[in-house]
Amino acid sequence: MTERGLEQDAGGSALYVFAVCNAPDPAVFARLPGVAAGVPLRRLRFGELTAIVQTVRAADFTDEVLQIRMSDRDELERYARAHHDVVSAAAWSCPTVPLPLATLYHGEERARQALLEETGRFVAALRRTAGHSEWGVKVYAAESRVPEPSPEPPSGTQAVRSRPAPGAGLAYLERKRGVQAQRERRHEDALQLAETVDAAFQNLAAAGRRLRLHAPERGGKGHVQVLNATYLVADRRATEFEALARRLRDATGARIDMSGPWVPYSFVGEV
Amino acid sequence: MTELDLGQDTYPIPGPQNTNLADILERVLDKGIVIAGDIKIDLLDIELLTIRLRLFVASVDTAKKAGIDWWETDPALSSRAARNSLQDENRELRERIDALESKTDQMSDDR
Repeated sequence: MTERGLEQDAGGSALYVFAVCNAPDPAVFARLPGVAAGVPLRRLRFGELTAIVQTVRAADFTDEVLQIRMSDRDELERYARAHHDVVSAAAWSCPTVPLPLATLYHGEERARQALLEETGRFVAALRRTAGHSEWGVKVYAAESRVPEPSPEPPSGTQAVRSRPAPGAGLAYLERKRGVQAQRERRHEDALQLAETVDAAFQNLAAAGRRLRLHAPERGGKGHVQVLNATYLVADRRATEFEALARRLRDATGARIDMSGPWVPYSFVGEV
Repeated sequence: MTELDLGQDTYPIPGPQNTNLADILERVLDKGIVIAGDIKIDLLDIELLTIRLRLFVASVDTAKKAGIDWWETDPALSSRAARNSLQDENRELRERIDALESKTDQMSDDR
């Protein structure tokens, strides 16, 4: 990839659309870098609504370049956070519908036309999420304390390999079976815990979605994620929601992590 | 207010602070209203990538500590690796075709 000056690339620019809102205050994102440092973010009116956009070099957003950028953890993080910051800033000043990463148009006219065609969906989403925020909830099962079965009983049979204690094999199988049963019980407990917590939050939320579970940390201390969910919660009920999390923590003993309030990313699309 | 000042915002960024990357990714990547853009990004590829990335992001620090760097050679995470593996596969297939063709040539010669 060669570095080319902006002016040389005048023909190769594209318009990046971050979000759509009613009437954003430009001051809230005026100082954000967006996804192309040095180029100011601006508003693009279409009908009754306003999009937050930025001119970018088309060459930075081709399929191939994006795949490479997104394969690099640092680059991906910078990009995702930059997008997220603009969306969050917009939402700070008015109800906002976020668009996913990399929604791009060849120019202002094309963008305006495409956005106008989707006005119905934007209006519906804005109506559905007005006065609500998204809250993430992650539940982890308690640390596992079940030891792996040791292949041999701890007493010194190693020294007398030729003569294993009578019944040693049977005892090993029994231990193994016990561990297996415990593991299954733990699995069922975890599912039950996830259902209980999810049901309680759903009850308070306007909507809820389950997200993919995160993998356990390699060599981690056995904090297995059993629920990764996200809920659309009316802003006036946010404190109730947090109180519920505390009650559930006390009642179940599970680790329950909350994140939020988020712009309702997970609830603006057609569910 | 100077536009080129990229220093941290005077306005606080709303939303949770100290959010981890996995939390952001699972929201900005495939949530939000999806509308057709002019510039086509292969969403199927990105989806595959994000599934791996979620695992990747969740465990990257511990994995790094343990010296595990499987993502560097994982085709879904590294386009360079993807190209290499495609090239390798391509070459192997060509070689097999050559071998098969010379075999059938021999067979028709033998007749």
